[in-house]
Amino acid sequence: MRRGPTWPIHLALLAVSAVMLMPLYWVFRTSVTGDNIFAYPPALLPRHAHLYYFVDVWYYVPFARFLVNSAVVSLIAVASNVVLNAMAGYALTLEFRAKRAVVLLLLSCMMIPFQATIIPAYLITKELRLLNTHLGLALPLCSTIVCIFVFKAAFDAVPRSLIDAARLDGLGDLGILARIMLPLSTAAVATNVVLAFIWSWNNFLWPLIVVRNQEMQTLPLALSTFLSYLENTTGALYAFCIMALIPGLVVFVLAQKQFVEGLTAGATKG
Amino acid sequence: MRRVLLNRYTLVLGGLAVAVIAWNLFVATHSDGRIEGHVVGPDGRPVAGALVTLREKTLTTLEPRATVETDGGGRFAFTGQRVHHFVLEASKEGRGTSGRIDYRLAFRGQNFSIAEPLRLHL
Repeated sequence: MRRGPTWPIHLALLAVSAVMLMPLYWVFRTSVTGDNIFAYPPALLPRHAHLYYFVDVWYYVPFARFLVNSAVVSLIAVASNVVLNAMAGYALTLEFRAKRAVVLLLLSCMMIPFQATIIPAYLITKELRLLNTHLGLALPLCSTIVCIFVFKAAFDAVPRSLIDAARLDGLGDLGILARIMLPLSTAAVATNVVLAFIWSWNNFLWPLIVVRNQEMQTLPLALSTFLSYLENTTGALYAFCIMALIPGLVVFVLAQKQFVEGLTAGATKG
Repeated sequence: MRRVLLNRYTLVLGGLAVAVIAWNLFVATHSDGRIEGHVVGPDGRPVAGALVTLREKTLTTLEPRATVETDGGGRFAFTGQRVHHFVLEASKEGRGTSGRIDYRLAFRGQNFSIAEPLRLHL
């Protein structure tokens, strides 16, 4: 079968990519020039670029403290996500009486937005005396239903015979999970890590409610505080955005292969 | 072992850690806060006895930090200045003023020598 030229497709893809990446490029460009977005005529390429706005952000606000807060909260969220979601996903691969009801319950819970549960979440966190703490910030993100099903899909692909053989060797459920399921589901683990990290890193609403002082602020919350300063902080503001974006980008770029594998596992048979 | 060392996670995160440590070492060894330069008159000759004021530029204000006088060769030096964004202004009665000139450093307390002299004008 003769194929036509591919350059029109590539050209169209390049055009679409340029349009989609333009906002990100504009943020980066403004962070190194400080040009106002309403400047006329607009310059596509940065003129007189420098990195001093990044230095300003580092010193004008306690950026290192905010970075540590975000990192600690994300670490707690990622670790608990992997552990708890793997356990829940494994449980859903077993047969038990109310399995269908549990699956329906989990799916229905996915339809409830977080904003609708914020008040009870706050009250529980308050009763646990975890307000204004790293654990309190990470608590609502310690498990996500989407990732439970990602694990379930990955564990369903593991041959039953392997699990039966492990049981015959005397391995319990936790041992099967740790020694057989997880090592064979690295793509699902990577997906879980990436999603949990990005969701916890970018979380704004929950820290806004739980945090009581500046020392416990995470990066998104600190960025909104930074916005309340003088209007002429365009360069520093965009530099703050870039600095807050970099860790998430690094994690995603490193784990993107396994991330895509984890999301598409089970999409095709054989 | 070789596989672990050549793993992309090790390379990227290890590289970042090395870069951060190297940068912090550089900052620690070059952060005496020494800012020096010299003042010249409209004719380009060094001006002795000119007053040079250093003001730190914060997000909202311009805070005066120190004032020094130039020596016989028109040179001045500030020490122990923990600033990264500052403004210098030189002046001498009868000779004029340089106006406020903005400077930025890569880190707080960086040792810095001003390339262009502060030129007084009436």
